[in-house]
Amino acid sequence: MEIRMANLTKIFTSKDKKEVHAVDHVDLTIPSGKLIGLLGPSGCGKSTTLYLIAGLLKQNEGQIFFDDDEVSEMPPEKRGIGLVFQNYALYPHMTVRDNILFPLQNLKVEKEEAKRRTIEMAQLVGLQEMLDRKPKELSGGQQQRVAIARALVKKPRVLLLDEPLSNLDARLRLQTREEIKRIQRETGITTVFVTHDQEEAMSISDEIVVMKDGVIQQMGLPQEVYDHPHNLFVAKFLGNPQINVFEGDVKGGKVYIDDMHIGSVKLPDQKVQIGVRPEGFLVDDTLKSDFNFAVNLVETIGRDTTLIIDIPSDEGGLLDKKSFKVIVDASHRIQTGDLVHFTVKPEKMHLFDLDGGLLT
Amino acid sequence: METKNNLKAWFYLAPMLILMAVFTFYPLINAFIISFYKDYLPLANNGVGSITGYTLNNYAVIFKNQLFWRAILNTFVLAFVSVPVSIMVSLFISVSLKAIPKLKGFFQTVFFLPYVTNAIAVGMAFAVLFHKDYGLFNVVLRLFGITPIDWIGGTASWWAQMSALMVFTIWSSLAFKILVFTSGLENIDKQYYDAARIDSASKWTIFKRITVPLLSPLILYISITSLIGALKAYNSVIGLFGERLGGQPYRMITIVAFVYKYRADFAFQGFYSYAASAAIILFFITLIFSVLQTVVSRKRVHY
Amino acid sequence: MSDIYVKNEKSYKAKKITFNILTYLFLIAIAIAILIPFYWMLLTSMKSDELMRRIPPLLWLNPKEWQLSNYYRLFELVASGPRRGEPLFPFFTYMRNTVVISIITTTGTMITTVLAAFAFARLNFKGRDIVFAILIGTMMIPGEIFILTNFLTINRMGWYDIMDQSYMDVIFAMTLPFMTSVFYIFYLRQTFKQIPNELYYAAKVDGTTDFQYLLKIMIPIALPTIITITILNSMGAWNAYIWPAMITTKDEFRLVSNGLRGAFTDTGTGRTDYGQQMASSTLVTLPLLILFFTFRKQIMRGVSRSGIKG
Repeated sequence: MEIRMANLTKIFTSKDKKEVHAVDHVDLTIPSGKLIGLLGPSGCGKSTTLYLIAGLLKQNEGQIFFDDDEVSEMPPEKRGIGLVFQNYALYPHMTVRDNILFPLQNLKVEKEEAKRRTIEMAQLVGLQEMLDRKPKELSGGQQQRVAIARALVKKPRVLLLDEPLSNLDARLRLQTREEIKRIQRETGITTVFVTHDQEEAMSISDEIVVMKDGVIQQMGLPQEVYDHPHNLFVAKFLGNPQINVFEGDVKGGKVYIDDMHIGSVKLPDQKVQIGVRPEGFLVDDTLKSDFNFAVNLVETIGRDTTLIIDIPSDEGGLLDKKSFKVIVDASHRIQTGDLVHFTVKPEKMHLFDLDGGLLT
Repeated sequence: METKNNLKAWFYLAPMLILMAVFTFYPLINAFIISFYKDYLPLANNGVGSITGYTLNNYAVIFKNQLFWRAILNTFVLAFVSVPVSIMVSLFISVSLKAIPKLKGFFQTVFFLPYVTNAIAVGMAFAVLFHKDYGLFNVVLRLFGITPIDWIGGTASWWAQMSALMVFTIWSSLAFKILVFTSGLENIDKQYYDAARIDSASKWTIFKRITVPLLSPLILYISITSLIGALKAYNSVIGLFGERLGGQPYRMITIVAFVYKYRADFAFQGFYSYAASAAIILFFITLIFSVLQTVVSRKRVHY
Repeated sequence: MSDIYVKNEKSYKAKKITFNILTYLFLIAIAIAILIPFYWMLLTSMKSDELMRRIPPLLWLNPKEWQLSNYYRLFELVASGPRRGEPLFPFFTYMRNTVVISIITTTGTMITTVLAAFAFARLNFKGRDIVFAILIGTMMIPGEIFILTNFLTINRMGWYDIMDQSYMDVIFAMTLPFMTSVFYIFYLRQTFKQIPNELYYAAKVDGTTDFQYLLKIMIPIALPTIITITILNSMGAWNAYIWPAMITTKDEFRLVSNGLRGAFTDTGTGRTDYGQQMASSTLVTLPLLILFFTFRKQIMRGVSRSGIKG
């Protein structure tokens, strides 16, 4: 079932009358049956968007559609969604079984069927042994699975998850995100989850949506967004280690960092910001490249080698950092102090104007 | 170091302990002792008091005393009706307060007024409210074509008097409960309500299956303390009925009033002991209920 | 399952509004029920004798018909009898007594409470938990038990002398038994316990004595609680009835509750002057109401916090 948001806006007014546009005239369509990651830094509006879809917050402007039904005015209890809260919000005084049964009882589902579905859900999330425990007897990961079961038992049209992995320890996080992916595949429910961890979003989403300050920056397949960021913010937000950003110029069709020529482009002369991911550099064995430096630090993890290179300050060049990172194949036996020449893979060179907009 | 702290601590506790020794611990033990005195005249012999011996009879006298049983009846009826009713009413009020968008503060203030009043003064106001001729209640009754009832006067029935007392008691006891329940409601995480809405729960279901269970420890605690407080009713009865305690003498007597009645007659031999015995009996009654409810709470509280 | 997704926008808004209206009506009804006794008290106090005796009683008085005669008469001096020369309802005397007793008791309670709470919260000493448990136990005991013996104690100290009781005697008798409160010790101890241990250790390292620590650090930090206790405690004297009735021998020593009951009934005819009675009730109710409206937030916050037990 497709979710469509048109011109959706939510404004919060703080005590000193300052208005914050948590969600700012957002147009967004979530395709049916997919797992979508809503990604962005704290305060970008992603949780707010989720709550607007759920109906727990009321929008100031705009509309929300589930397929062809407009649900903008519908209260949450009627929208038919499942929501997994960041803190799970399991009813502490009820057993796991009763927690999962609760929505079915409210929907007046017939007793036998309700029982059957509860067990079915418990099996889906792997908790059929725990049905008679109370939430406080369960671990964080288990509680979350109960929350998922409770959300899914009523066969909702949409499943929403608010930062599902942030309360789990690192080990559980990896395990659980695979679980989420698996469950979504098995049930085929349109699922939206919110996170600030780009790796998380990239790894399991069918598509990701990057948000900043209440505005959608880009939406697309994870690899697409990674390879072709629409602006500097998206480029910097995705990718670990972070993309390197240099100050540079376009002169006469050529791209320069300081006076080092690194590539060509069909653009008018201007100052630019150049984004190059660590894996976007090649070692130039011919030693002809302008772009060369002494390597300050070498880190090997066996699979590849990371070179950390300081740009001497009087040569300008880098944006708010003193060094940039290059990842090269481990076969290059490079040592600290070596002078290395690099070329930049043209498809890995992203040019942005001084405001961060993409230059093509 | 330990001994230094020990000594110092006792210095800090000294003022309180000395006062409590004289006015709490000693009286507690003494009350037991007095209850076994025979023919006690407390103020004889220059305040030392005189007795003719020791006896268990005081308790027997009390248990044979009709007035005592009337006091038990009145007190229990009052406590076991007013407490559950006022808890339910105040719970509804607190939940309603939580649901309204505006004017919360105004209502909270109005509802709290009974707490900051003098029980006697307001009791007398209620007496006028319930007056056969001059009272508002009978005006309303007349409006419905019912003959006016004598609520608290000389010809009033026990039912009428108890009803009047019940209304007054419930009226006075709402304020505190509303305040406490309001505060308790605020401590319930909003997320549970959000989750319940997503789970398609109706407002009544949310109240019955989320709010009340989550509030149940508090409700139980308030039940105990209110019950014990209600068992000690006195000021309100004086306020409403005056020193004669309603109609045929002492019709509306409560356990505490019973104690004080005998205390006041201390010039009669042995009466002070009766007062002491009655007080001890009251103590055991409240003790039983405290223990009972603590035991029950371990089992029934939904957590 | 899609039949649960009812899609009638108007009905949602209508339902919500209906619910809100019903809730407000309920609350208004309760508010009226709460206010009626106050209204009746005030109304009756302002009816002249003649208006008062109307059956059925007037529900409402025009401002033009408001009579303050009942109030004036309260302050008239009595012509004959044992109270000759005194005002009919010595309001100011009662007030003065109540305020004096209240101040003294509250001050005494504050001192014992602060010291004891400090000891229980901060100091480590043998027997601390046992003593504390015993004190908590005493909270369960009905006050009536203590009163019996305390009366005898007061008498033995010579403070209850039917022939010759002095004002000082009364003050001792009325205040001393009530200068401690386990409840407030419990409450303040909670607050003290929330002050982090690190502050204490830091102060000790700086050479502060325990007493200085109490005075200069703990009390200022716990001030809101202390103020609340002070306010609540001072309100207590207002409702005192049985103890003052027991130990005062003269009317001029009485507290505000005592003077109320029984007054204004003409023993000859048995007729009670309700107008005057209500006037005196109003007068007695007023100061506490004023105190309430001044310290409203403090009082309500304090009562609610003390109600949710530790």
